[in-house]
Amino acid sequence: MDAVNVNNLNLDDLPWIIEYDETKCIQCGKCTAVCSFGAIKPDIEKRRKPSNGLQKPSFDKILVIKQKVSYTHHCRGCGMCSRVCPNGAIKAIRNPNDRYSVRYRAAKAESLKKGGRSNLNTEGRTLDKIKIGRISQMTDPSLDAARHKFELRTPFGRILSADKIDLHLNNGEIEVSKNLPPNRWIYPILIGDMSIGAISWRMWEAMAIATAYLNEVVGLPVRMCTGEGGIPVRLLKSKYVKYMILQIASGHFGWNRIIQAMPDMIEDPAGILIKIGQGAKPGDGGLLMASKVARYVQEIRGVPRADLLSPPTHQGLYSIEESVQKMFLSMNAAFNFRVPVAIKVAASATSVSVYNNLLRDPYNIVGGFFIDGLAGGTGAAHEISLDHTGHPITSKLRDCYLAAVHQGRQGEIPLFAGGGLGQTGSFAADAFKLICLGANGVFTGRLLLEIAGCVGNDIGKCNACNTGLCPAGIATQDLCLTKRLDIDKTAQNIVNYFIATDMELKKLMGPVGNSTLPVGRSDALITVDKHISNRLNIQYVC
Amino acid sequence: MSNETIKIQTLNNNNRMSTQELLQLITSKLEEGYTNFDIDASGQHNIGGSSWAKDRKSELLFTLRNPGQRVGAMAMKGTKIVVEGSAPADVGWLNSGATIVVKGDCGDTAAHCAAGGKIYAAGRVGTRSGALMKHDPKFEVPEFWVLKNTGSFGFEFMGGGTAVVCGYECEDLPSVLGNRSCVGMVGGTIYVRGKIDDIAECVSINALNQEDIDFLSQGLVKFLNEIEKSNLYDKLSDWTEWKKIIPAQNQAKTRMSVKDFRKNHWVENGIFGDFIHDDFVVYPMPSTGEGRVHVPNWNGANCIDCKICLNNCPESAIETNDKQYSSNDNKCIGCGICEAVCPKKCWTIVSDRKEIS
Repeated sequence: MDAVNVNNLNLDDLPWIIEYDETKCIQCGKCTAVCSFGAIKPDIEKRRKPSNGLQKPSFDKILVIKQKVSYTHHCRGCGMCSRVCPNGAIKAIRNPNDRYSVRYRAAKAESLKKGGRSNLNTEGRTLDKIKIGRISQMTDPSLDAARHKFELRTPFGRILSADKIDLHLNNGEIEVSKNLPPNRWIYPILIGDMSIGAISWRMWEAMAIATAYLNEVVGLPVRMCTGEGGIPVRLLKSKYVKYMILQIASGHFGWNRIIQAMPDMIEDPAGILIKIGQGAKPGDGGLLMASKVARYVQEIRGVPRADLLSPPTHQGLYSIEESVQKMFLSMNAAFNFRVPVAIKVAASATSVSVYNNLLRDPYNIVGGFFIDGLAGGTGAAHEISLDHTGHPITSKLRDCYLAAVHQGRQGEIPLFAGGGLGQTGSFAADAFKLICLGANGVFTGRLLLEIAGCVGNDIGKCNACNTGLCPAGIATQDLCLTKRLDIDKTAQNIVNYFIATDMELKKLMGPVGNSTLPVGRSDALITVDKHISNRLNIQYVC
Repeated sequence: MSNETIKIQTLNNNNRMSTQELLQLITSKLEEGYTNFDIDASGQHNIGGSSWAKDRKSELLFTLRNPGQRVGAMAMKGTKIVVEGSAPADVGWLNSGATIVVKGDCGDTAAHCAAGGKIYAAGRVGTRSGALMKHDPKFEVPEFWVLKNTGSFGFEFMGGGTAVVCGYECEDLPSVLGNRSCVGMVGGTIYVRGKIDDIAECVSINALNQEDIDFLSQGLVKFLNEIEKSNLYDKLSDWTEWKKIIPAQNQAKTRMSVKDFRKNHWVENGIFGDFIHDDFVVYPMPSTGEGRVHVPNWNGANCIDCKICLNNCPESAIETNDKQYSSNDNKCIGCGICEAVCPKKCWTIVSDRKEIS
């Protein structure tokens, strides 16, 4: 018999424990066949038969399903086994005595890595404590959400104040003397930046198809940010690139191909987003585990198969001014100043200083400020970053907006907010509240993953994007896992979700009485939380 | 009951009778048994509304000049109201059976919520006219006739009744129904002569059938007679110029599926087509063949040919021939039971990750 040593990893240390009912099990093998983590396997158990004392003890052998006790093959609670079991004989149960993270660090001398989201939720969500409480009741008519024609578009690109626009008369016609900065009027919800590599080619293409469909068939001018993992040349050279915001992060992955494709591009991209940081792991660079660096990812990024760590900073940028002068200027120049360029940072105690500085923008080249809060997701991160660093989005967005208002320059550099939106189920409500607090728009990545069938959540379910073994075919480059994902259904569901969200945004704009996006209409918001009321400068109610 | 016409002057030596005074005077005269009124109004509201003869049978007749808003508001069957000239907003608001004839134009929201009777307008009517008209099947169908055109947002939320917009002298207008009419319309019928543009998506525009023509040809005679323009019948009765608008609730907006979009409009062979030859097939869980997460591998050095693996394989995927065992890729789902049950550990499960090429 195997000896049990207290120093070894034990079943009771694992975050999830398999509850298995052998009386219901028909040994069909489906659960073990689908478990991408290899966390369960068929096994033989011996059962002692009653002895009459004359014969030697004898045993029955029973085929059962057993959980592996392993640092690499442990159960993540994804629940695929329950989905395929015909008899409900198996399920993963959260282990309240979980000691896995301690055991892992002690055994491996390594920082623990995870994917997905933060799982340390101690603060509660500010947005859930805010309601839309300024309803048009006889003061002005509520609008009929189902029938009124609303204008939901929002600017992406630098907006000049009226006094900065050089106008003159030419034969009685008003003309603009100098070119205005490029600007695009887009849908206020952007599909956030998830890179090729971090997510499967099917997931990425499904988002791109959904984006094109929303524009061309539905008429919603939704834009998708590519993330920084290269962009397929076929997309760059197609007309659909006009719906794509190209990202450049510190790794600059894939930009050589973009540059080489430029002469053959028939459309300009929708914009460029310079990624300085992301909310889920602020101050940390991108991380793509080697398990996901498939051959096509190697090619498109120009790297070998290895863990790909992007530096936490753009090397060569040492200050806000330098960022504007060098990075914004270069990216504006890339498409000859025709394409708006924005920047994305992780929300931070310093965000307002950055935004104030950008607002000076002497060259009129700063086309948007994206702030990413701590509840955002990521393909892979160190758990310590994911759970313990970052800044909530709501007050930071508000601070930046009010800083601009203080200078009378709100709206000149559009603000976009993201990070954990839709966490409690209603994306449109979160988006609307942030817009009322001053955002021109919002962005989301993980919502798209959830639409596609991601089984993870914020309380430790799955969160294994970093392993490359995503059971839903989303955060993986494995052939048979990726092919679990139905590209057409995924794209269709994204489209449907946007159509539903569009209706829901209007359902909130109607009662407030706004035909256009209520950017900064904080008078529409109320809260029963005195602290939130004070901090966000919105009405306290009880 | 008296057939004598009560004449009311609402202005005397610059003293104007208030709406309340006028309506209470009318009520007292009705209680005295009078049924005919000829009123020189000065903007008083609600004239002719919620009134009935003392005997509950005789017909009431109001002849009005210069009325205020809501002429014939909440008016009943047996009431006839004739406005000599135009009337401001809300003519026939909640009309429940009266015949209301306006010899000129009507203001906004004419026939708003009308659920009975007939409203005849000899000119144009304003925005949101005909909105929320409805029909209670226990009563006659309300009708709303307009000689010229309606303002924008007409017939919103219309739930029943019949409206007729004759488009007379409106040949130059882009739409005789203005903009965004019929939004939220779920019932009733609107007949229109002339151009229609920017109408709500929830309705359909159709040609007339014989039943429609019969209704219109009879109704038009009566309408033109009431507004004293019978000479227009020939001009307005070219039925090829008419259309019928009805709600199209069941015609749900159908868009092409995203799948068809991908197949017919998206980048051919997908944007990753340079690297990846994806057939876009979806693997169910569990899968066989290439779709397996785990694949069994047999090494027979220690095999005792006991057939336990073969007998326990849930998919009957294991085949044997001359003590050589193999697993049929088209049946095997990669469950690992063969590995678990083999007494000699001949089967191992390989979980290598595969890439697409």
